[in-house]
Amino acid sequence: MPKVLVVDDDPSLLKALRIGLTARGDEIAIARSGSDAVEQVALAEPDVVILDLGLPDTDGVDICRRIREFSRVPIVVLSAYGDERRKVEALDSGADDFVTKPFGMAELEARLRVALRHGALAQGGGPGAPSTLHAGDLDIDLVHHMAARHGVDLQLTSREFDLLAYLARHAGKVCTHHMILKDVWGPGYGEESNYLRVYTHRLRKKLADDEGRLLRTVPGIGYQLVPEPEPEPAPSNE
Amino acid sequence: MLGTRGTYQRILVGIATMLAVLAILVVVLLAFRPHLSIALPALVFVLPAVVGTVIGGFPVGVAGAVAGFLAYDYYFLPPYGTLTVRSPQNWIALVVYVVVVLIVAQVVSQLRRAREVAVRQTAESNRLYDLSRALIGDLTLAELLSHIVTAVQDTFAPEWTALLLPEADGDPTQTSTLGVATHAGEALSDADVQSLTAVGGHTVSLGLDGGAVPHRVSLALVVAHRPVGMLVVQDVQLTPAERGMLGTFVNQAALAVDRAQLREQALRARLLEEIDRWRSALMGAASHDLRTPLASIKTAVSSLRQVDARLGPEDRAELLELIELQSDRLARLVSNLLDMTRIESGALELRPAAIAFDELVEEACGLLGGLVARERISVKASEDLPLLLIDHPLVSQVLANVLENAGRLSPPQGAIRVAARPGPGSPGMVEISVSDEGPGIPPAERDRVFEMFSQNGGGGRAGLGLAIAKAFVEAHGGRIWIDPSVERGARVVFTVPGEALVPAPA
Repeated sequence: MPKVLVVDDDPSLLKALRIGLTARGDEIAIARSGSDAVEQVALAEPDVVILDLGLPDTDGVDICRRIREFSRVPIVVLSAYGDERRKVEALDSGADDFVTKPFGMAELEARLRVALRHGALAQGGGPGAPSTLHAGDLDIDLVHHMAARHGVDLQLTSREFDLLAYLARHAGKVCTHHMILKDVWGPGYGEESNYLRVYTHRLRKKLADDEGRLLRTVPGIGYQLVPEPEPEPAPSNE
Repeated sequence: MLGTRGTYQRILVGIATMLAVLAILVVVLLAFRPHLSIALPALVFVLPAVVGTVIGGFPVGVAGAVAGFLAYDYYFLPPYGTLTVRSPQNWIALVVYVVVVLIVAQVVSQLRRAREVAVRQTAESNRLYDLSRALIGDLTLAELLSHIVTAVQDTFAPEWTALLLPEADGDPTQTSTLGVATHAGEALSDADVQSLTAVGGHTVSLGLDGGAVPHRVSLALVVAHRPVGMLVVQDVQLTPAERGMLGTFVNQAALAVDRAQLREQALRARLLEEIDRWRSALMGAASHDLRTPLASIKTAVSSLRQVDARLGPEDRAELLELIELQSDRLARLVSNLLDMTRIESGALELRPAAIAFDELVEEACGLLGGLVARERISVKASEDLPLLLIDHPLVSQVLANVLENAGRLSPPQGAIRVAARPGPGSPGMVEISVSDEGPGIPPAERDRVFEMFSQNGGGGRAGLGLAIAKAFVEAHGGRIWIDPSVERGARVVFTVPGEALVPAPA
């Protein structure tokens, strides 16, 4: 039974989330302020955190940063529509994913599932750098620069391999353009999101992932490797 | 500045003084004539000429020389009583007298003139300083313009002084026409205005020599080869020094006008920026206020749809209640927003009618729907309360907003008291107050909660509600404030007009 910490200040949204998530079998903890949230992450050790970026007392981005100083707990951020810059800031500060308000429970649940799995991966990784990565049906051999899907070798250039390896290392997390470019291309890069469009297009071809289900585009924000893609949610839930 | 008339006057005074002194000296010397040497009167008669020169300048000195010559010759050179001079020695005395007096008069008058110039220059620079001093002050454009014409009018005392500026609403690529921005002195006649604002390509001659209209001085205010305006002084005669002074002043005035215009432009730009900021703050506040209830509604509805089977009956009821309450909240926000737009567009028109206080409370509670439970609200009205004379849809909105705020900021079951009494100290007004048991509002926030941007103020999101309440109350000529004297909870007070009480028949 995953333990979810919900950080929000709106009592009615808290109530709706509490009822909805409990019905799905989650255990719910609630924090109404930023400082309360940081404290609860430290004390109650939740499996995943739902954090509203629009808290009155503290900046949500700041809370992400403070949680990341001591915890790798997955953070799903709730943000307002049109607040792209803040989303990117939150992701760059350690948030794993975001959901735009208003959202349906199905979407939130899907995000939580991915985040929880990513959290398990991240925690299982440990400090000693692994020589191989497994993300769903992907196998990546970091030593020999080899990648395979369903056991079939993929013929990747070294840049394509680096990109895939980076996303696989952060599987489940939404990686912003900036993060990817800085890591894969180098410290001098960060704004060249058009490079990413070219390389992800080639990667998807080689991964036989033309719809981008495995390598998801997060419009205007970045990319996310979803190791075990969800079945498409019912259309009524967007 | 003294004109030529003053100079004549001074000469006349000088001559009169000179003659008077001379006459006295003649009378005094005549008494001692037998004992005097021939040279002594010549020496004494230098005095009136010098006195005259000091007062009236060199011409009086010359007159003094002539008068002294005649008096000397007539009274003191034998044969006395005639102008005949017998001895050549006496001729020499006379000639020496005249030459000495003329030289002395010349020297004295030069000294006098130098002193006059110095005094005048000091006075001029003082006046120029006085004129210009206000130009560097912190004046608005209108104040500055009126200062310029008043200063010129006071200093040069013409019939009138007018300042013309380019008409603002012209196409900037066209030659702009000048209009009279301000003037001082006598009222401008229609003909004057006509002659000033010569339109249709007429050139207005500029300069100190008056141009087409006699006794008129027109000076262009120019900054960096760009005309700023024109100063016209009617019916004035200027000395060269005054012309220089006026020219200098006009240059300084041009700089000041230009600066004031630029500053006014900057102010306008800042005002536009402010309006822009206000708009986006309104948008931000509105979208936040709308999204918050929407988010809970959608979350609750999707829970009901998707995990229905796993929800207990209590959970279902709770979610449904939540949806209803948040829908009410949303509906209130929408009507608040519409009202806000009405206020902003100036379309708010009051339709006051008489209504009883408890009716108003019921109307407000109706607007609130289930947002604040009716049982929490207690109503108390003083017995002498008149009917309210208000636009009741607006004031019930005010009351609903204040109640909603109280409900949101106080504990879930906390009592909310609504009271009304005739406004103490404001006859004709009724004072309505709403008290809650919440955490209260810190003193620093007490004014800000009524502002549009007080998103995070007062420990809760006031949003637009109180800002709208303020606008509606003020539209009724009332005011709204937080009672600073309560110690527990918050007490919001506002006043609205009441129906005048008909005095009981005696």
